Amino acid sequence: MFLINDLITLLAANLILTQALGTSTIFIAAASKKNLVGIASVVTIFTTSGSAAVYFINRITGEKYNDFALLFYVLAVGIIYVLMLFLFRFIGKKSFERTRKYIHISAYNCAVMGTLFTVSERFSSGTSALTDYIKMGFEAGIGFIIAAFILTAAYRTLNSAKVPASFRGFPAMLVYLGIISMAVYALK
Amino acid sequence: MNKGKDKITSGLLDDNTVLSAFMVISPVIMCGDTLQNALALIYAFSLITFFSVLFASFVPKRLPYALKIIIYAVIASLVYIPVKLLAGEIYPESIERIGIYYPLLAVNSLIVFRTESKFFLMKRGKMVGSLMFCILGFDSVMIITGFIRELIAYGTINSHIVDINTLMTGIAQPFGGFIFLGLFCGLYRKIRSSLLRDEDEAVRSAENVSDK
Repeated sequence: MFLINDLITLLAANLILTQALGTSTIFIAAASKKNLVGIASVVTIFTTSGSAAVYFINRITGEKYNDFALLFYVLAVGIIYVLMLFLFRFIGKKSFERTRKYIHISAYNCAVMGTLFTVSERFSSGTSALTDYIKMGFEAGIGFIIAAFILTAAYRTLNSAKVPASFRGFPAMLVYLGIISMAVYALK
Repeated sequence: MNKGKDKITSGLLDDNTVLSAFMVISPVIMCGDTLQNALALIYAFSLITFFSVLFASFVPKRLPYALKIIIYAVIASLVYIPVKLLAGEIYPESIERIGIYYPLLAVNSLIVFRTESKFFLMKRGKMVGSLMFCILGFDSVMIITGFIRELIAYGTINSHIVDINTLMTGIAQPFGGFIFLGLFCGLYRKIRSSLLRDEDEAVRSAENVSDK
C-alpha cells in the first residue's frame, strides 16, 4: 500500500507529465531501451547533483541576484558536465565513448534546467536542508525514468503502420502523453 | 540557387522548430494557452535566440565540443538578463504566469545544439537568414497555439470576450497542450504531404508534356 502511495505521489509530481519539462529529450530516450537507460541515468545524475548545487547557489547569492540565477545554474551544470566527462574518461575509454552522447544530450535541456528552477522555487523560503534539495532532484530524475518507460512501452505501436502516416511518431506520442498527463492530472 | 533559398527558409515550414524538429516544446505546451502569453514568449524567444546564436558564432570553432556548448549556454543566459528586465516592463502579468519557462527559453536546443549542427556550417549572412526563419517558425506555431487555445478554453481573443457557446477549459491545461500540439502537428504533416504530392504531380505532368 505504501509502495502504491509512493508511486502515485511520484506520478503526481512528475515534471514531464505535469509540467512538460524535457519532452524533446524523452522522445530520444524512448526510441530504444539502450537510450532509455543511458539518458535517464545521466539526467538523474544531473538533476540530483544540480539540485545540490542550487542549494549552495541560493545560500550564497540570495534573492538579491535573482536575475542572475540562470547564469549561475548554467555555470553549475557546466561544471557538472565537464566533471562527468572527465569521470567517465577516467573510468575507461569504452565507457566514455558509450556515455559521452548521453551526457551531451542531457546537460542543457528543459528536464535538467527546469528541475533546478522548480527546486529553487519550491524551497524559496530558505529553510530547507540540502537533503531536501537532493531528494527532490533525485525524484525528478526518477519521474523522468517513469515517463520515459511509459512512452517506451507504446513507442513501437505509435510508430507502426497501424497509425495513419500523418500522425505516426511524434504527433501520436504527444497525444499519448496528453492522455497519460490527463490521468495524472486527475490524481492530483 | 533555388536550393539555397529553400535551405534558408526551411526553418519556417519544411524544418519547423516545433513541428518538424520537435524542439522548444515545453513552453508551447505549458504557456501557449493565451495570446498574451504567446506574445511574451515570442518576444523573449526571438531576441534571446537571435542574439545568442549571433554572438556564439564568434566563438572559436577549434574549442572542444563540450566547452563550446557551455559557452553558448553562458552567452544565452547573459542575453537573457536584459531581455527579462525589459519584459518585466512590457509584459508584467505574463512574466509571472510563464514563471520558470522564461529562463528555460535561454537554454533551448536551437541555441545549444542546432548552432553546431546547422547554423555554424553556413556562412554568417546565410546563417542569419536561416536563423530568422527558424525563429519565425517557432513564432508562428506559438501564435496559432495561443490564439486557438485561448479561444477554445476561455472564449476570448487577447482577453476580449468572444461569443462562443461551448468552452473546453481542459485545453488550457498541460494535457490539453500535449493533445492540441499532437493534433496540430498531425494536421501540419497532412497539409505538407498533400502539398508535396501536388508539386510532384505537377513536375511529373510537366515531364510528360515535354516528352511529347
